[in-house]
Amino acid sequence: MSSTQTDDTDKTPVEDPDVCVVGAGPAGALLSHRLAKRGHDVVILEAGPRFDMEERVERMKRQIHPERGVDEIWDMGGERDEYTVSSDIPMPLNKRRAKGVGGTSLHWGSVVPRFRERDFEMESRHGVGKDWPISYGDLRPYYAEAEQEIGVAGPDEAPHQPPREEGYPMDPLPESYADKLYAKAGDALGIDVQPMPMAINTGAYDRNECQGHGTCEHVCPSGGKYTADIHVEKAEQEGATVITEVPVQRLEHGPDGEEITEAVYKTPDGETHRQTADVFVAAAGAYETPRLLFLSESDQYPNGLANSSGTLGKYFMDHSGGLVVGFLPGLEHSTTEYGPVISSGVFQFYDDDEAPTGGINMMLLNGAEPPIATVAMTSDEIGDELLEKIDLQAGNSIGLTLSTETLPREDNTITLDRSKTDNNGNPVLDVDFSVGQYAIDATEKGVSEFTDMVEELGGTVVLSQGTHTLNKADEFIEQTEGGYHPMGGTRMGEDPTESVVDPTLKTHDLENLYISGGGVFVTGGASNPTLTIMALSLKAADHIDEELQG
Amino acid sequence: MELSRRDALAALSAAGIAATAGCSSLLGDEGTETAAEETDEATATATDAPTDAPTETPADEASSMDTMVALAEVLYPSEVEPTESFVQTYLYGRIYAEEAYAGEVDSGIETLNGLANDEAGDDFHALSADERVSVIENTDLRTGDSVHDGSDVERVNYHLVDELLFAFYSSPVGGEMVGTQNPRGFPGGYGYSPPLDQ
Repeated sequence: MSSTQTDDTDKTPVEDPDVCVVGAGPAGALLSHRLAKRGHDVVILEAGPRFDMEERVERMKRQIHPERGVDEIWDMGGERDEYTVSSDIPMPLNKRRAKGVGGTSLHWGSVVPRFRERDFEMESRHGVGKDWPISYGDLRPYYAEAEQEIGVAGPDEAPHQPPREEGYPMDPLPESYADKLYAKAGDALGIDVQPMPMAINTGAYDRNECQGHGTCEHVCPSGGKYTADIHVEKAEQEGATVITEVPVQRLEHGPDGEEITEAVYKTPDGETHRQTADVFVAAAGAYETPRLLFLSESDQYPNGLANSSGTLGKYFMDHSGGLVVGFLPGLEHSTTEYGPVISSGVFQFYDDDEAPTGGINMMLLNGAEPPIATVAMTSDEIGDELLEKIDLQAGNSIGLTLSTETLPREDNTITLDRSKTDNNGNPVLDVDFSVGQYAIDATEKGVSEFTDMVEELGGTVVLSQGTHTLNKADEFIEQTEGGYHPMGGTRMGEDPTESVVDPTLKTHDLENLYISGGGVFVTGGASNPTLTIMALSLKAADHIDEELQG
Repeated sequence: MELSRRDALAALSAAGIAATAGCSSLLGDEGTETAAEETDEATATATDAPTDAPTETPADEASSMDTMVALAEVLYPSEVEPTESFVQTYLYGRIYAEEAYAGEVDSGIETLNGLANDEAGDDFHALSADERVSVIENTDLRTGDSVHDGSDVERVNYHLVDELLFAFYSSPVGGEMVGTQNPRGFPGGYGYSPPLDQ
């Protein structure tokens, strides 16, 4: 499926680097930049290509074209990206992730709320899940650093936010027409609508400003949306080396089993190379990182690397939630005209103590309809009939993308499917996930609150799908299906018998192997996970730096 | 309303063509203007075309443009008139910058003409508007699949029909007809924030 041409860059290993990072997405990019900036010799091994910025408009056109799949936008699919889903909800993984420099941030919506204080102590507060071995306070300075690095436009003064020491780097996005409608409904219903923190440049950062294409997820042609290729390039400017199109096949350890010695990778022409380093960081995402550790099984570690606890691949989580679309007839202005797809949200029901206790993150959409060009291309009509059809439905929609908390469960897993292999003959990953009543309760609450908002505005809910309608999962439109926010599977903990990594993100079993990514989350909260992934990666970078200095 | 070269430049902006190599001479200094500035004059006519617009169009490309204009005329609302200047400006850059796309246009027009001859006995661009509509309605154009690497007709749907629809409905001139100056896909800036209706 890939239309990206194989590049002709050097694919040979770097000689004696300090750090080898597997994966050039958000979990590896900021960490690599920080370590390179502090003088460490860093090499990043990336399975996918380096995408050309000039191709982004063409990728956006794929997004708008009704006959092109979301997986085609960033050239996902084919044998390289095979997987199996055993879950009770459709999880089209290749429509949820991207492989290449920048990783899935190329594809994301750039919604970046922090986790709340309660997210780190759900067992203590509510008797569910498990407490993290670190607190919000431990991560708080790293959140601020991550927000500064990527450039977040957000509200300094807004209710229902965790405590902050300093303001956001940029003022929040301007209030959209749809935001004003949401606020009007919220005022009537006692619901606090507030600006959403977004990693979109409104002019203060050293990348292009948002130009309002309105296609943030899955392509930002202007580059106003933060994508992690920015920090990969910054890392390169500090001396790091990036080797692209070299999927790592396995990590190998030394004879005593205490240290990783090599990352073994394949080049596009089939050559195998071995990258040595003092420290290794697995940052290949919460789907592929457990797979890599399972594939790295050895005589000493027959159940996979870093798995002496037996928890590798377990306690996998995805956010639950869904999509609700409301139709408001007779609006004076289009709800879609604004640019960024999201600029406000509701966090009021995230960490209140009332039941349901599951986190609820309500992302309010600036229009919830396909682009008019998509409608035009999808239709059979032409000329005036086509215009009339588009005009009937254009600009009158509002919508909710809902993200709710799923509890970590031992039986929600990433494992290997040994019956299916990728293009290199390696077994693919199998994701087996079910959501549970806790997530259903939180989803129903969020859907109910938004439905009230639509009706308060005199509108009608025309679509409501998600965790609350799992009995009709076969009718889900693509956007409602799962797999957006993978977390867990390599969870963090103090106890080596119950977790894969320690609070510094170093594996309990191997003294020079770290894991960076959503996989280390102990519970999943309801906030979009990427900012927390970035904050944790900066914290891990500090630990690695200390260790290398020592 | 005549669709002008300026409208095409706005549409090109949505399609990102202004940024591609080979188009700078086509766009001239105007290529550096923002899309929003261009759209301020969306009703300007083709006669505004600056002198650095392509002036020498080879015969076969002239015929291509006739066909594309003829197709756009029946795809677009009757209120608008998709001039050769609009279509030529929108497509010329792609045809020159992307060899593969030029090939798709050539073979697509051949397919279209084949369908037109079967249906009404002449090439597509030579048919009346009603006959062109009949060709579309009586074949798999529009109603059939649109596939970038599919059958001949599927490729016409993807590379000709859908490309022209994208040009129109991802630009302000098409967007405005359904109430938005900044349709998705068009870089019309962000933060538009009209007051609520009373």
